[in-house]
Amino acid sequence: MSAPVSTGVLSIFAAGGEGGGGLQFPPVDNLVKWPAWFFQGTPFEFNKITFIDFIAFIVPVALFFIVSRKPQAVPRGLQNLMESSLDFIDKQVIQPAIGPDGLRYMPMLVAMFFYIWIGNVFEIIPTAHMPANARIANPLILAIVTLVMFIGVGVKHHKLGYFKEVLFPPGVPKALYFLVTPIEVLSTFIIRPFSLAVRLFANMLAGHILLVTFSVLCITLWGFQILNVVNLVAFPMLVAFTGFEFMVAFLQAFIFSLLTAVYIGGALHPQH
Amino acid sequence: MLLAAINLLAAEGGESAAVNPVFPDSAGELVWGAIFFFLTWIVLRYVCLPPLLKAREDRQLQAQADYEAASAAEAATEQVRRDYAATISEARQQAARTVEQVRATADAERGRQVLAVEQEIAEQRQTALAEIDAARSAAIGGLTGDVAELAAAAASKVVQSPVEVSSVRPTVDEFMNRSGGQK
Repeated sequence: MSAPVSTGVLSIFAAGGEGGGGLQFPPVDNLVKWPAWFFQGTPFEFNKITFIDFIAFIVPVALFFIVSRKPQAVPRGLQNLMESSLDFIDKQVIQPAIGPDGLRYMPMLVAMFFYIWIGNVFEIIPTAHMPANARIANPLILAIVTLVMFIGVGVKHHKLGYFKEVLFPPGVPKALYFLVTPIEVLSTFIIRPFSLAVRLFANMLAGHILLVTFSVLCITLWGFQILNVVNLVAFPMLVAFTGFEFMVAFLQAFIFSLLTAVYIGGALHPQH
Repeated sequence: MLLAAINLLAAEGGESAAVNPVFPDSAGELVWGAIFFFLTWIVLRYVCLPPLLKAREDRQLQAQADYEAASAAEAATEQVRRDYAATISEARQQAARTVEQVRATADAERGRQVLAVEQEIAEQRQTALAEIDAARSAAIGGLTGDVAELAAAAASKVVQSPVEVSSVRPTVDEFMNRSGGQK
């Protein structure tokens, strides 16, 4: 009964199961604080989260690199899979949100989608059990990238007229600009990236806490003979939530990419 | 609600209460996260995706070209089919016209031949009728002479004196003409 599980779960198991001291949740440190592996105390501190970031970088790059060496006219196997992912980003993200002009943003959106998705999937991968995006760092970086990107696209295509289109929407009576313009500043340049980052971060952290809670519950109850009956419900729910979180991992990556594309599309055509 | 749950967990954990559950306590995650994301973007942008996107575009262009070629071939086939149908239709019309023309010619020829035959029959009938009339006239002429002689002989016997044939001839002619007219 000392199988290697995540750090927090292990400590709880020892406390609850053998000691019989009752149900104990892990300290919050186990959820949100990860000790440094390398470069401790420097700005380049490397820990479990950054290692997951590294995997989220290396996996899509390696897969795309393998299939890009000699792409076949008729794709098969891995090339088929990777091209299907490109088609997915193209048809489900770029075309509906930006249109045919959006193909130039495909590398960024593909990178964003895979970086988020693989980082999220580590929520349910055994021995990892931690989504990289349950930390605010990655969502914050990606949201800032999105902010810079859509402002850059707007300025590139409309010069300073972009800010005029955004801050002073046509059709609004001029007397209302004193109300509308601050709202537009807030909603476009503050709330958009903030909501992007918080949506991803909060969903993944909530999912992580949910899985940890049910894992702790199941393992702790395993030590209580009578209460072990509760595991008949708790364990299937843990399995179900694991499947659910797999879907959430994909969904959050898709939503983040789609919203980024929508904001870029909005910057390309602000009058729409 | 989420933060409340985290704070509750933190409180129950009883240690490291100073840990901020939202913001990382070192810049490492931000720095490495940014590095790895931009590396992903740059490598995909300049190394991995261009060959794949080019292959994809080439495939689409090839498929488009094949589709257009297939459409052109289909249009050509349709044109050939229409030409064939038009040729068949024209041939059928020509055949119908020929049949009609031949039928008209045949009808005219038949009418002409029927007319000629009818004319010949009519002529033959006229000739026959004329010959019959001539034969009858000859027969009646001979018979009138004989009857006149017989009547003169009979009358001579009755009156006990000779009666000239020429004296009874008008009466016999009149009788014969009346008898012939009764036929």
